[in-house]
Amino acid sequence: MRKQLTALLLTACTVLAASGCSLLPGGSAPGTPGSSGPGTADSHSGYSSGDGKTIRILSGSENQELETIIADCADKAGVHIEMDYKGSVDIMRELQDGADGYDAVWPASSMWISLGDTGHLTKHSQSVSLSPVVFGIRQSLARELGFIGTDVSVKDILSAITDGKMTFCMTSATQSNSGASAYIGFLYALLGKQEGLTTDDLQDPALQQEIRALLAGVERSSGSSDWLKDLFLTGNYDAMVNYECLIIDANEQLVSEGKEPLYVVYPYDGLSIADSPLCYVDHGDADTEDAFLRFQEELMSPESQTAIEATGRRITANGVSAENKDVFNPDWGIDTERILSPIQMPASDVLADALNIYQTNFKKPSLNIYCLDFSGSMSGTGEEQLKEAMAQILIQKNAEKNLLQANEGEVNIAVLFNDRVIQVLKAEDDSDRALETLYNEIAAQAPGGGTDIYTAAAEAYGLAMEYDLSQYSPAVILMTDGQSVYNKNIFQEALDSSDVDIPVFSITFGDADPSQLEELAEQTDARVFDGTKDLTEAFRSVKGYN
Amino acid sequence: MKKKIIGLILLLVIMMVTGGIYLLKGSAPETVVVNGYVGGEKIEFLEDPEVQSILQERYGIRADYAKAGSLDMMTADMDGMDYLFPSSSIAEEYYEDLHGKPQQSEIILNTPIVLYTHRAVLEAFDSQGLITENSGAYQIDMAGLVSLIQNDTSWADIGLAELYGNISVDTTDPARSNSGNMFAALLANVLNGGQTLTEDNLREILPELQSIFGKLGYMETSSSDLFSQFLRMGIGAKPVIAGYESQLIEYAAIYPDEYKNIEDDIVMLYPTPTVWSTHVLLALDENGQKLLDALLDEDLQALAWTKHGFRTGNYSTVSTGGDIAAKGVAADITQVTQVPSYDVMKIIIESLQ
Repeated sequence: MRKQLTALLLTACTVLAASGCSLLPGGSAPGTPGSSGPGTADSHSGYSSGDGKTIRILSGSENQELETIIADCADKAGVHIEMDYKGSVDIMRELQDGADGYDAVWPASSMWISLGDTGHLTKHSQSVSLSPVVFGIRQSLARELGFIGTDVSVKDILSAITDGKMTFCMTSATQSNSGASAYIGFLYALLGKQEGLTTDDLQDPALQQEIRALLAGVERSSGSSDWLKDLFLTGNYDAMVNYECLIIDANEQLVSEGKEPLYVVYPYDGLSIADSPLCYVDHGDADTEDAFLRFQEELMSPESQTAIEATGRRITANGVSAENKDVFNPDWGIDTERILSPIQMPASDVLADALNIYQTNFKKPSLNIYCLDFSGSMSGTGEEQLKEAMAQILIQKNAEKNLLQANEGEVNIAVLFNDRVIQVLKAEDDSDRALETLYNEIAAQAPGGGTDIYTAAAEAYGLAMEYDLSQYSPAVILMTDGQSVYNKNIFQEALDSSDVDIPVFSITFGDADPSQLEELAEQTDARVFDGTKDLTEAFRSVKGYN
Repeated sequence: MKKKIIGLILLLVIMMVTGGIYLLKGSAPETVVVNGYVGGEKIEFLEDPEVQSILQERYGIRADYAKAGSLDMMTADMDGMDYLFPSSSIAEEYYEDLHGKPQQSEIILNTPIVLYTHRAVLEAFDSQGLITENSGAYQIDMAGLVSLIQNDTSWADIGLAELYGNISVDTTDPARSNSGNMFAALLANVLNGGQTLTEDNLREILPELQSIFGKLGYMETSSSDLFSQFLRMGIGAKPVIAGYESQLIEYAAIYPDEYKNIEDDIVMLYPTPTVWSTHVLLALDENGQKLLDALLDEDLQALAWTKHGFRTGNYSTVSTGGDIAAKGVAADITQVTQVPSYDVMKIIIESLQ
């Protein structure tokens, strides 16, 4: 029995961890500090505040909004808080590995602690706030769809999506709690079941067809709820699945910019609640435990709780306080009176299967266009590391170890460039053999010449146009190690002549100039990743975004 | 040579200083730190400053712990562990099955399995004729509840349209945590007509039990986490949970202000029949034995009831007024069925994985 259990948990955890590799700000792809929002390098490579005993907290990115309150509590408790941000699924995996670098975890939902704490390290878990996972839909569209002032089911939303009336953004189900919760809600709704999702259900051909059609409506994805919100604010999208508190936050910004706010829809057959537990990880140091408890007590104090509620998080299941009533604006569809009755999360083994099949089968196929810098400066170590990184991604037996294997129908193209496009290589299909051939062709290239990222990115845009992009999650993944000639216009023309939204993610290497890359990312609602420490890890991080 | 002498002198000085400190400390017993795995529901008890000071002053013990489910802990890494403190005799038998007899074992605390719910759900159950009241304590007819669950009755069907889905009882994972395990034992007995399930009827009952648990989906691994989520997330998230009687009594004693806010809404339902959860301490070595002996201290046993809600040898029948804050506590637990044997439970647990 014990063996079965261990095996099951291991499977659950490994699969859950899927491509959940530090995609979030503060992960192992730190970028330029001090900048924020999409289009820039990591908006947050962690946060620290206060003096005293240090408590290192690994937290979901949604808690970034609480930093002032955290600082305040740290001062009062006389502790020094260090926050690192990762997705809930990553937090689960970190916990499973012993969470050596952390004294506490703070994921979006308790479930990830239960699934991750195989080593019995956690104690003093307390829910800090509550927020349901909801749909935020442009108000006028919500009205058009008849979603205002009425009970809406996931099925209703699905018909709007499959009828082409609405597209939406959601986080990756294999990385983020909000994406995983929404996805499970979709499965139940499509199956017409209320409980007891099974592995057999996932094999139902009708369900498979419907969930693919539904996920085809996902316009953009991300590894983090907070980043999704930022992405949403810079782009022009119909709707997003996110926490109620982040929709409130987005609306405050939209309204201040004179834009249309989002209307919150609580699908009654697909709702889930994040309970945001802050939980101690015991590495045997009594002083740290003591300091943690002081900090936690401050965070749970009525004063802090009221401040937390003012950010749009709920602090009880029974409505909101009179003081913060205005934050939960009913004109935005926010309903604090209704009983939040969430769906049931499936058993851990079924959940693992569901997330695995999402990754390999259900989500929209990726269209990856790798723009790889083969300028002279790449000679030596740079070239070696680049080829090694590509081997990790393209050779499927390597990719499998990191659960990064190609999904069904995936397209992989490489644009090798220096100051011009050297050559364009395409994998014939999504087979292991075709991807290995692509790798071998890349590996045969030798570096030389100058650098022009703009020409390469423009070429990538041209290549992408050959596909029906509504059927793919497209991304240009640009890796460069130096200063490029500033041929901005060439890319601008490509951008202007296309009417689709293809993000240009960049990975910096060597002396790459982040400002050029950030500009590209900003223009295309993407981000910049730092590949100087670990190029393979940076590629893995980017891969998670499509 | 010189170095050796200096080393020797240093050693002597250290010995003298340490000896001095020893003498200064007088007759207080040397503190032994005792380590073990504990089911989440007993953590407040062990962390109670009053409990800690009795352990320290009378017995020279500081009880440290790691949280683990009652069954999980039996297969956990026991390196450096002096004791295990699971919540059932089944867990003890499981230990013996895996590792042989422990150095010593003893029942320290008892508490019955109960259901926790909200007032609105109580009323809906009452409308179905499932509830009887006995001097302020509510009892629920388990056979009736099980048949509602088996028939996929929705909350809306019994007048609670604001709750999504079918009637169910949230429980911890029976394969990993004791309250879930005990609840599975209770359901098995209820499905067996209220009689303790034996190997005779096992084959017949198993599929029914599997079907009930198959509807539950994801289950928490700790009773204390489940209870705090129940209190925290409202009627919509967890309309009914299975737990221990001790949990509410303890909550009311330790958090009187918070309890005041919920006392009108949160109700305890005593299943008829129910099962006892017996909290057994397994001493793995001498230090574990010391803790075992200490926990039988009369004052600790009294604290265990009044502050933490565990019925102990002296508190199996209780006066419900005065000494405890929680409302709706039954004076005694009468309709109890025996938990099925370890062999039967083993098959049940395996079938529920």
